[in-house]
Order: sequence, then C-alpha cells, then structure tokens
Amino acid sequence: VLFVGALLVAVGESAGAVGGGLRPQIAEYVQTRVVASPERHGLAGSAEYDTEVIAQTVYAVEAGLSFLHTHAQGLGPLVIFTSTMAATVVPWPWARGAVHALLALGALFPAGYLAYSIAVIERGREAGIETAERYVLTPLGSAAIVGLLTLAVLAAVGRRRRRAA
Amino acid sequence: VSAPGTWLVPPLASILTAMLLIAAGELGGASMAKFRIELARWARAGVLARPAVHGLVGVRDVDEQVIDEALVKFDAGLRLFHLHAEGMGLVIIATTMTAATAARSDRVRRTLVTLLTVGGAGYPVGYLLWSGLIPYRGVEAAKATAEWLVWIPFGGASLVAAWWLVALVGVRLIRRA
Repeated sequence: VLFVGALLVAVGESAGAVGGGLRPQIAEYVQTRVVASPERHGLAGSAEYDTEVIAQTVYAVEAGLSFLHTHAQGLGPLVIFTSTMAATVVPWPWARGAVHALLALGALFPAGYLAYSIAVIERGREAGIETAERYVLTPLGSAAIVGLLTLAVLAAVGRRRRRAA
Repeated sequence: VSAPGTWLVPPLASILTAMLLIAAGELGGASMAKFRIELARWARAGVLARPAVHGLVGVRDVDEQVIDEALVKFDAGLRLFHLHAEGMGLVIIATTMTAATAARSDRVRRTLVTLLTVGGAGYPVGYLLWSGLIPYRGVEAAKATAEWLVWIPFGGASLVAAWWLVALVGVRLIRRA
C-alpha cells in the first residue's frame, strides 16, 4: 500500500508536469484523433459546429489529465496516512488486510481520470465519460470510500474493545 | 533503519517546512477571499501603469480584454499557490516520512528528504511569483520567469525525488517478497 501511495504521488507530479509542459501538443494530438474519427465524435462537416465539438473534446481530455494530477497528489498522502492508521489501530489481521486491500484498490481511483481522457478520445466525449465513470471511477472510488468507512468503524470498535479490556 | 513495522520521523526541519507551507496556503486562501477587490485593484493599477509591457493600445474595448486576461491569470496564480501549498505540505510530510523509514543509507535518506522538502516547498512559491510579476512583466514573461526560477528547478527536484522514492520502496518490496 505504501508503494502504491508513493507511486501515486510520483504519477501525480509527473501528470502535472506533462499536462503543463505539453499542453499544446496534447491539444493537437486530440484534435488530430477527433478529426480522424468524425462519426464517433459527432462531427457534422460544418466548420463552426465541428470547431466547438473539437474544443469541448480537448477541454474534457485536459480536464481528465488535470484531475489525474490533483487526485493522485491528494490521494497519495491520504493512502499513506490511512494505511498507517489501519496498521496501528485495527487489531485483527484479516480486517487490517481487507482495509489495506480496499485502500490500495481505491488508490487507483486517479488512474480512472487517465482512462477518462483516453476514453473521451477513443469513444467520443459523452460515451467516453460515461464508460470511465461507470467502469473505472465509480468502482475504484467506491472501494476507497468503503475502505475509509470500514477503517473508521474498525478503529472505533478496536478502541471500545481496548477500553473494555 | 527502522524496526519492522515502525515509522521513522523525518527531520524536524522538514515537518516545520511542511507545516509552514500548509499555513501559508491557508493564509493565501483566506487573504484571496478577504482582499479580493484590493488585490484586483492593485494588479489592474500595475497593468495600467505599464501599457507597453501588456500591449495596451489605448482603445478601451481592446485594452479591457487584455486587462481582464491578466487579472484572470493573476487570480489563477494566487489560487494555484493556495492549492499547491496546501497539497504539497501534506505530500512533504507523507513522502519524507516514507523516505526516512524506507532508505537504509544515511546519505540516500538525507538527499531524498532534502529534495522532497526543498522541491515540495519551493514549487508552490512559483505561483505566487507568477502572480506578483504579472503586473510588472506581463502574463507570458512572468510565467517564463517563474518557470525558470522556480517551477523547473524545484518541481524537477520534487519529481526526481518522488520517482527515486518509488524505486526505493519498490526494491524493498521485491527484496521482502
């Protein structure tokens, strides 16, 4: 879990650097890919309308990369702190293992935003966002939420048990 | 080297730096909200005082657009300082704690902790510098200055240290397996 936390921080920093430094290149790449698949992206052949569609797609891809940066940077320390907390306050090895597994799985949530950006390019804006949300962001985000809630409950139960003992 | 399952505390200077950074980030956010109008007025006055730097032509419609863009970037720089200072403070605490525990050699631990602390603490200051320079040097020139003086050296240090830490923890994980 620690490795995943450290990896998240590094990926988040790299995503920020890449997103900031290669912004024009990313926009150009997305534009090329959208133009190459006009049906998938709903291009109509009208320059005015198509320019708007392309701009919205570029914006969605950039937003995905930006969310990858912010969520990875934020979730990295969170995973390190909460997994440490789980190792300290959860007395049952099986429960600790389950919390660590959920946190490690939830830590992959920011990668969902990379999938979001790729899906927008590959499947079109609306379909791509829906795919990433349904199959990647929701399950991984849920794992993180369930992991944190489980940790909170187990910490409270463990504390009550220690007091009773 | 830590006993199995024991965290080592990073140097106090790193913790203090991270806490100062978080405090500066919070103060930055609060100041932005409290002095929003004053800050915008100051930046606007700075832009108007240097028409050549900002490419103002004396035509109100054109100039207002340029000023608006400069003010938006000025505000964005302050916001990004607030966000990055708060975030990097936590990143410094988490990563230096991990480095202090995972690194076996003193030299590696010291170098990693220094890079993570200095890089992480310096990087957000670049956004403050960018914002502060916009009225004097224009949006793009201010950005280039912040990039070369702060973002590239400090961000680079933080980036190198972060991947070094990943490699270090990864190697320990493999050895343990």
